[in-house]
Amino acid sequence: MNILEVENLQVRYRVGRRRVEAVRGIDLSVPRGGIVALVGESGSGKSSVSQALIRRLAANGEIVGGSVCFDGQDLLKLPMKRMRSIRGGAIGFVPQDPNSSLNPTLRIGEQLVEGLRLHLRLGREEAAERAVRILGDVGLSHPEARARQYPHELSGGMKQRVLIGMAWSCDPQLVIADEPTSALDVTVQRLVLDQMQQLASDRGTAVLMVTHDLGVAADRAEQVVVMRHGEVVDAGPTSAVLHAPTHEYTRDLVAAAPGLNSVRLSASAPSSAQAEPPHPLLEIRDLRKTFSLRRPGAAPEPFTAVDGVSLTVPAGRTVALVGESGSGKTTTARMAARIGTADSGSVLLDGRDVTTLTGDPLRQLRRDVQVVYQNPFGSLDPRLSVARIIAEPLRAFGIGGRREQQRTALELLDSVQLAQTLADRRPAELSGGQRQRVAIARALALSPRLLVLDEPVSALDVSVQQQVLQLLVDLKAERGVGYLFITHDFGVVRQIADEVVVMRQGRVVEQGPAERLLGTPDHEYTRALLEAVPGAAAR
Amino acid sequence: MTKLLRPTTIVSLLVVLLCLVMAFAPQLIAPGDPLAGTPRDRLLPPSAEHLFGTDSLGRDVFTRVVHGAWLSLAAATAAVLIGGVVGGAIGLLCGAARGRVGTAIDFVVMRFVDVLIAVPGILLALIVVATLGFGPWSIALGVGLGAAGSFARIMRAQVLRVRGEEYVEAAAVLGVRPLGVLGRHILPNAARPVLAMAALELGTAVLSVSAISFLGFGVAPPAPEWGALVSSGRDYIATSWWLTVLPGAVIVGVVLAVTRLARVIGEAR
Amino acid sequence: MARAGTALRLVGPKVLQFAFVVWATYTVTFLLVRVLPGDPVLAALAVQSGDATTVDPEQLAALREAAGLDGSLLEQYLGQLGALLTGDLGTSLATGRPVVDMIAAVVPGSLAVAGLALVIGVGTSVVLAFLASIAPWRWLRDLLVQLPPLGVAVPAFVTGLILISVFSFSLGLLPASGSRSGDSVILPAITLAFPVGAIFFQVFITAIREAESSGYVFTAEAKGLGRVAVFGRHVLRNALLPSVTSIGLLIGYLAGGTAVVETVFSREGIGRLVVSAVLARDVSVIQGVIIVVAVVYALAALLVDLSYPLIDPRLRPGKAAPKATAPSTFSIAPEADALSASTQDPQNGAAK
Repeated sequence: MNILEVENLQVRYRVGRRRVEAVRGIDLSVPRGGIVALVGESGSGKSSVSQALIRRLAANGEIVGGSVCFDGQDLLKLPMKRMRSIRGGAIGFVPQDPNSSLNPTLRIGEQLVEGLRLHLRLGREEAAERAVRILGDVGLSHPEARARQYPHELSGGMKQRVLIGMAWSCDPQLVIADEPTSALDVTVQRLVLDQMQQLASDRGTAVLMVTHDLGVAADRAEQVVVMRHGEVVDAGPTSAVLHAPTHEYTRDLVAAAPGLNSVRLSASAPSSAQAEPPHPLLEIRDLRKTFSLRRPGAAPEPFTAVDGVSLTVPAGRTVALVGESGSGKTTTARMAARIGTADSGSVLLDGRDVTTLTGDPLRQLRRDVQVVYQNPFGSLDPRLSVARIIAEPLRAFGIGGRREQQRTALELLDSVQLAQTLADRRPAELSGGQRQRVAIARALALSPRLLVLDEPVSALDVSVQQQVLQLLVDLKAERGVGYLFITHDFGVVRQIADEVVVMRQGRVVEQGPAERLLGTPDHEYTRALLEAVPGAAAR
Repeated sequence: MTKLLRPTTIVSLLVVLLCLVMAFAPQLIAPGDPLAGTPRDRLLPPSAEHLFGTDSLGRDVFTRVVHGAWLSLAAATAAVLIGGVVGGAIGLLCGAARGRVGTAIDFVVMRFVDVLIAVPGILLALIVVATLGFGPWSIALGVGLGAAGSFARIMRAQVLRVRGEEYVEAAAVLGVRPLGVLGRHILPNAARPVLAMAALELGTAVLSVSAISFLGFGVAPPAPEWGALVSSGRDYIATSWWLTVLPGAVIVGVVLAVTRLARVIGEAR
Repeated sequence: MARAGTALRLVGPKVLQFAFVVWATYTVTFLLVRVLPGDPVLAALAVQSGDATTVDPEQLAALREAAGLDGSLLEQYLGQLGALLTGDLGTSLATGRPVVDMIAAVVPGSLAVAGLALVIGVGTSVVLAFLASIAPWRWLRDLLVQLPPLGVAVPAFVTGLILISVFSFSLGLLPASGSRSGDSVILPAITLAFPVGAIFFQVFITAIREAESSGYVFTAEAKGLGRVAVFGRHVLRNALLPSVTSIGLLIGYLAGGTAVVETVFSREGIGRLVVSAVLARDVSVIQGVIIVVAVVYALAALLVDLSYPLIDPRLRPGKAAPKATAPSTFSIAPEADALSASTQDPQNGAAK
């Protein structure tokens, strides 16, 4: 018996005068007490589905057809008043981003009490007591104190626990979780998902989990529904869909998912420049950086972001710098690329100390060291054409005439496998993956010997992520560039790294050759990070 | 593109076009003499012959409104230019200097800018008028100085915003020289909100200039000017409404059109 | 002791800022008057005697001294600044009376109009904004949002004259001019309330729209709360912060608006004082009024600043560090998790 039966659901958005069909008639069912994962990449319409189920779409969206049968009644036909009594009562919702999903001006307890009083008709004090108990149930310590705190006093993982407690607070029959952990670090993600699974099995709640991460789906769900372009392309029991996908798209998705089967990527063409033994290209010695944190009404506090980090990038190799948020990996990379300045320690390129370069000598360093940023939407000037963006470094160093620069730009487009016809487009007309290729082409324009890549694929969908990683591997083999590759994702590390450096709280926890470190990690934290990568169930 | 084709936008563009014609070639629209009246035709209500009626000296109000456009609009435009150039330069320098050599300079200068914003623009304009003497150009200078503060603030905010964008850091990391970054990336990307602000300020300046003229510190009569026209109709408000309401409506129409266009400039991508 | 220290750290800079605004206003007006060509004393005398050629040099010198406009520029600047510190705004060039007295005499009338205008303007905007976000029909919501540009675009002198012609001459309900009777405040206040309310509405509705599209409002609706509860508990409070900030700006606007409105309604007040001072080329009075307005503005800004922590708990002084001690289940990365919450990602901060 299914608690939720969705038939032919259609959702449409008005964008200016255009109408965009986001969901084109999907069918979906969730059995009582079962966990179903709705998987798709960005733009697949999966979030629209989750919002349509509780009839709370963005202002310009509307449900144009289909039925949502919940516990025997069609939700789409209910008057709004009845619908409100189901929202939060019989159907709980765990939203995507815990940091923006709690009202910053109300105490945690007050926000839990609202739902309890509305749906369970509890009195003020009774509701307050229940709220404290719920906070304890979701694994928060000192629940009484937490109830009196404001959201900004809690970490992201704690806030997500509060939201999970909120979703389960009125004993719902179904909980819809929209990307419940994608804003969290992997180790926290794992704990939060454990908590959800525990609650679901204790209370017999059905869960519809919306996620982009096949690994999460593989670990947690009994059934998987795969969406693409507003349609369902594959559905069935998890193991069947993962191991014998019927649709080609699902097959690609499974192959690309970094958590599921991280095979080391090898260069498409045999490498040309690997004869000589690698010498150290970049050396970082005992780097330190302290920021001062300001809070209203308090004296600035020092915060050590990077605390004595040393590492070496050999020429033509890939060193992955791995860590969770707040580990200091980005700060380290910025100092290595000489964007930020270190408080102490030194940065050596080819044995030359470049730690304190400024002015024109620092500018000349850019011929050898280039950077690719995480966000392909932010790192390209929206007003310039693709060709001008790629040619900009050539222009800055006065290499070649205008014609020659244009020709080099076109060649670079070729080498990052983009059509030359894109040369006149603006960044806004490109997809995320295309933009990141443009950023890579630009970074390669001066033929640098070191690329610092700051989470270059984490803003991209998995299938695109895969292609960009392959491109990076090919370019390395072709040009013999060294990579300092910043990432939080061990799946990606497995695919590309020659050597791995694990950071935590500003310090290096462990470093070594990728094969050894991924296979038999020495440090407990590295092991925990590896285990937390979703998809273990399917590996 | 579709935003330019919205009916309100088209109407606004037409109004602005009409303003330009009124300012530069008033004879095309109203061939009569704005200063010559026929005493026989005193205080006639609007009619086909006198679209906006006539005033107490028998002058055609429509003709006076059309011929008054030049002074009203030129003074307002001059005010925006003064405010934009002075304020824009201050904001650009402060925004560019901050964090490099001039964090302290930026701090002090911006506190003075805060004061320019805090003091009501009309009071600032009035003290300038009292010092310099009456007339539309003193008003323009006063109103312009009053607007300079807002221009400085938005220019600085835009420069800082764009400076914080990743592509600006990326440009520096690519090896582009600081002045190149400023000219090629920061200024072009900061320009649009400042332009939108200038259009918005033009509307405000039309209002301020006409208000100060209304108070009697603008052109000497009998030269026509919009604020002064409303002011001269004041004594007849009980009997001859058109003397105040119709010139007033023209001001409202122009301000609405300019404000609308400001919004379009601000939104368009 | 620690408490007092915290309070001092919070309030100290704001009081300094207040003093700075007053000093800077004085400096800006002083510079304006002195940098622009023209001798204010000469100009004022010329207006008084009706002819610039027959100025008695002795009278000129006496007036200069009385107004503190003798000696070098620096002496004038410091002399007037010293007087300002004791609450002396100088002497009127036209009447010879102390500027402070002249302003004090007319402040109550202006305060009544401006205060009522602020109440009417802000009150109406809040009601309209409430309707604009809970009205069940989209056309009504859209219409309500379109109103404010109109309020800003109509010049106050036109609104005032129309109100007079309707309510005083046609209907005979309210007095057209003067400041004797109590109900003479109403029409001027309504006139000023239009632009003030419109400006406030624009800020307020933008803040409301932003709050409405936020994640926490989604959460609240997913909880099953109704429109009114969502608006009252979740939208309003979060929209308040930017709106309160704009009230400081409104006070400046009100002070400027009185000049026009008091002229239209022939009321005694600060605005009329300024207008007659401009007619008499009496720069000291205008300078005095501007400084008084700046003081009021700075006081308002101070109050607004101090009210932020009441509205937004994130701006309250930290009770040491937020105690994000790890719950027992966070066996692996409790500190890392807590760290990311309390530091708001220092790396991104450093990038800016």
